Amino acid sequence: MTKTFEEMLEELRGIVRRLEDGDASLEESISIYERGALLVKQCEDLLGAAEMKLTELGRDR
Amino acid sequence: MMLSGPAADPDQPGALIFGVSEVSTLICDLLDDARLQEIWVRGEVTNYKNHSSGHHYFSLSEGGERSSALINCVMWRSCAAELRFAPRNGMGVLAFGTLEVYEPHGRYQLIVRRLLPAGAGERHLMVERWKRELDAEGLFSPERKRPLPAFPRRVGVVTSRTGAALQDILSVISRRYPVEVVLSPAAVQGEGAHADIAEAIRRIDGLVDVIIVGRGGGSFEDLFPFNHPDVVRAVAACRTPVISAVGHEVDTALCDFAADLPAPTPSAAAERAVPDRVDLLREVAGHRERMRALLSHRIAAAENEVDDLRARMHPRRLERRVHERMQRLVEHADLLRRAALARVQRERAALAEARAELLGRDPLAALDRGYCIVGSGRRVMRSARDLHPGDRVMLLMKDGRCRAVIEEVTYDEDV
Repeated sequence: MTKTFEEMLEELRGIVRRLEDGDASLEESISIYERGALLVKQCEDLLGAAEMKLTELGRDR
Repeated sequence: MMLSGPAADPDQPGALIFGVSEVSTLICDLLDDARLQEIWVRGEVTNYKNHSSGHHYFSLSEGGERSSALINCVMWRSCAAELRFAPRNGMGVLAFGTLEVYEPHGRYQLIVRRLLPAGAGERHLMVERWKRELDAEGLFSPERKRPLPAFPRRVGVVTSRTGAALQDILSVISRRYPVEVVLSPAAVQGEGAHADIAEAIRRIDGLVDVIIVGRGGGSFEDLFPFNHPDVVRAVAACRTPVISAVGHEVDTALCDFAADLPAPTPSAAAERAVPDRVDLLREVAGHRERMRALLSHRIAAAENEVDDLRARMHPRRLERRVHERMQRLVEHADLLRRAALARVQRERAALAEARAELLGRDPLAALDRGYCIVGSGRRVMRSARDLHPGDRVMLLMKDGRCRAVIEEVTYDEDV
């Protein structure tokens, strides 16, 4: 189950908010950060790899 | 047309071959006809342009939904200065002028010298009427507008397969945020275009996340199908959000009013349909930097905490306490020493006093009480043993001296 870009970006924003709150323990903060770093990578990969595709609807539908 | 016979073969004797200018001249001669000089023409103004040079360019058209005839017109600056009204597209007018051929472009045009309004044009009136009706149906109401999806996965496009609009849209989308584009092709001008467009909209509705309906720029007649109630109703009925993009910035069609978002051009519609990958990459990079900063901040806070704890258990603290105690000890010792010193001094003083008292006593005081001192030479005789009969002595008394001679000496044996 791969997440959409939108879902990943939303999770990433949430991670930044949690780190901003600053009430997570150091261990939690590090593991949150690692999750965030992975999401950043996935977002960048997804945007980098995207290619446009053109399809056409038949008129006899 | 018959192309056989001697005239169709340029090699045949007698075949006439014209130069372009000869044909052009011939056309000029033909059009130099009294029936085309100084005439009044009734028509509807379209493609009106008030050029910066001061010359006015427009067309006069005639016909129902689709113009059946069109004449290009020009009104030179000197004549345009005489205009008593501002010509607008769709306005019915009477134009007075002469037909001329502009040979360099091979086109003819009506050189208009006078222009009079003859009531609003029929097609514009029709659009105005449709607009009122559709508005009354509530199809243009702002409450109907829906937000566009931020990240569409599939973008639907209703336009001509061969038009510039499709190419513009594809180029913008591939540059900004490549997604799947689904084309629902439709003829966008000509007879029946409105029905075709409406059908293409219905066909793609629900299959994509957002729909762009439109076409590139054109004349009022070219854009006319996008005013048609069939198209407007199809747009309004869509479950999928619709972006309308008809013509250029200045053009509007009724379909714009029914869409969730009117865009000035097909390219602009594509820009509104998808986010920009560059912005998204920038945002993601911003999150990365922010996360890094926050984590190092968090680590620094933890380090501070450790430092604080270390400081609180540090030997220096103990040392300070020892120093405190020592200080107190020294103070006490000092007090003690001073107390002892004071006592010694006190006793020393008492002793001195006693001594002074002793010293103060007069050794001759005993003489007052009746004793005398026996001296011999410079010595004080203390013992009878030091005296012998016949010794001369001096008796020192309270108030004088006496010479005496010792007659007899006896000893107290036990002394």
